[in-house]
Amino acid sequence: MSQLSVPSSLGRPGALGGLRATWAVIRREWTIFIRYPSWIISMFIWPIIFPLGYIFTARALSGVDGSGLATFQQNTGLTEYVGYMAVGTMIWMWQNIVLWQVGYALRNEQMRGTLESNWLSPTARFSYLFGASVPQLISVLMLMTVAGLEYALLFGVKFHGSLWLAALVMLAAVPSVYGLGFAFASVVITAKEANAFVFLARGIVMVFCGVTYPLAIQPQWMQDVAAWLPQTYVIHAMRSAALSTDGWAGIARDLGMLLLFGLFWLAAGYALFLWMERRARVTGAIGQY
Amino acid sequence: MSDLAIEARELVKQFPARPGTGDKPKEEQPARKRGFRLFVKKEPKPMFTAVNGVDLEIQRGEIFGLLGPNGAGKSTTIRMLCTLLEPTSGTARVNGFDVVKQANEVRRNLGTLLAGERSIYWKLSGRENLEYFAALYHIPPAIAKKRVGELIERMELKERANELVEKYSTGMRQRVAIAKALLSRPPILLLDEPTLGLDPQAARNLRELIASLKSEGHTILLTTHYMEEADQLSDRIGIIDAGRVIALDTPAALKRRIDQKEVIRLELTGWHADLSDRLKNVDGIESVTTRQQGEADLWEVNMQAQNSRAALPRIVEALSGNGTRLVNMNIVKPSLEDVFIHLTGKALRD
Repeated sequence: MSQLSVPSSLGRPGALGGLRATWAVIRREWTIFIRYPSWIISMFIWPIIFPLGYIFTARALSGVDGSGLATFQQNTGLTEYVGYMAVGTMIWMWQNIVLWQVGYALRNEQMRGTLESNWLSPTARFSYLFGASVPQLISVLMLMTVAGLEYALLFGVKFHGSLWLAALVMLAAVPSVYGLGFAFASVVITAKEANAFVFLARGIVMVFCGVTYPLAIQPQWMQDVAAWLPQTYVIHAMRSAALSTDGWAGIARDLGMLLLFGLFWLAAGYALFLWMERRARVTGAIGQY
Repeated sequence: MSDLAIEARELVKQFPARPGTGDKPKEEQPARKRGFRLFVKKEPKPMFTAVNGVDLEIQRGEIFGLLGPNGAGKSTTIRMLCTLLEPTSGTARVNGFDVVKQANEVRRNLGTLLAGERSIYWKLSGRENLEYFAALYHIPPAIAKKRVGELIERMELKERANELVEKYSTGMRQRVAIAKALLSRPPILLLDEPTLGLDPQAARNLRELIASLKSEGHTILLTTHYMEEADQLSDRIGIIDAGRVIALDTPAALKRRIDQKEVIRLELTGWHADLSDRLKNVDGIESVTTRQQGEADLWEVNMQAQNSRAALPRIVEALSGNGTRLVNMNIVKPSLEDVFIHLTGKALRD
């Protein structure tokens, strides 16, 4: 059977068309994000409220005059415990946000009814997941900046380290943090519900990765588990980059580990996405609510 | 050039049967191993057959109506043709492209309306939605802008194109969804229940639009619950039931199949289920279907009969003495819906 011609104005999905399509997904996601006013709360208020419980617990244990800080300093090499808590909880929040927002990006589209209409276009389907992640990353960068300013101004936290090294740590952390998000998104679209998995994953990060305490105080088996979690290295490197004056030496090993984890999680996330896409064509999972 | 825009051969789609949903296992399904391969016996995995050997040949430039009750396999067929679902077996080609092997080409050649108003973003404006989908179809920005403007004009959305879709009526949202399907000027359109949920005026406007799309050369595959709509718009109609196409012809030819029959249409109050059996037992009555008219206790009863005049006294007798009050009675020419009832034994809305 021969074909009727498609109008010439309909471009072939080459590299430029693919980039334009991905950019369109990014713009769409960002536009919808800022049309829900609750983003202001998540951007300005949540980062200051969330770590407070841990900070006051730390203050209670160290004494209001800081007389108990020696042990903390001995374990961490730092005296800035407010900054220490803030960095740990910010990284935890980042992973948490990725699990909810990137992890549920396709599922939310599915529940809205728009996933199929996206899937019907000739755009590569991974673009929808990738494109949904970019505005989310931008919002996290804004959240981190706002949080840093709030802690410096309201709590007098002194970030002795380098902003550039902190940015480099963020960059190195992106593949593993988002690779995990892609993997979650692919599982969620199939399983339909993954709240329990998100709670489990973020609980593991909270307990094992040294979000609010140094790894050294954990039993050895927990430290062994922590060594297999990329968030452990993100938190350690970010504290080193932002709060200490150790410079490059303080983060070099962590960055190496993050690159390895990043390769693994990006590959795993992409492979799971392809598996989900293939399975959805067979089972019809894309159109099921 | 072949005259076929869409061609399906022995199209089959099976899904794993979901427990507790009434999905029937298909016994001839290949056995599937569960558990550890060496030690566990083969166990057939129950499968539900949604589409069971559909053959279709849709000519270029025609409107083809696919009719069937819920669960008949219409939407599954459409989803296979638009590449959202992979057939279990059989082949399908859209504008000459294989739906499995050339899925991306198929998507470039199709404009599809699925899920109607839910297929667009309510937190974007109508214009933003169309610009977004134009990018997904790789339409260069300058052309996209022009085309979006033209479609907004054509769909009579100009005044409110920059408002969020959440503020639109259902009919306006449906028009945005149709504009989305037309963005790439595809030769073939798949419209799944395009007038579902629309008020009569909006539905009429949409039917006019569909007719005008045909006159512009589009091939249209339309699924609908509404017989009048299919009758009015379609060049040919395929009636699908239990996953199979059980009849395929022009609306006029389909109606001729039961030309020798008559349809007795009653309106009455006080209907109860026993009456259906009583009426079916009347000599000469071949089928009985009922439909409640709105929320009041007013029912429409349609019966097919070979000789309605002979049956009428016995029908009146069957209805008497049961608290039933006959409001109206007509003998009418068979409609497409009557053809459907004749072929499937059930009403389309069942």
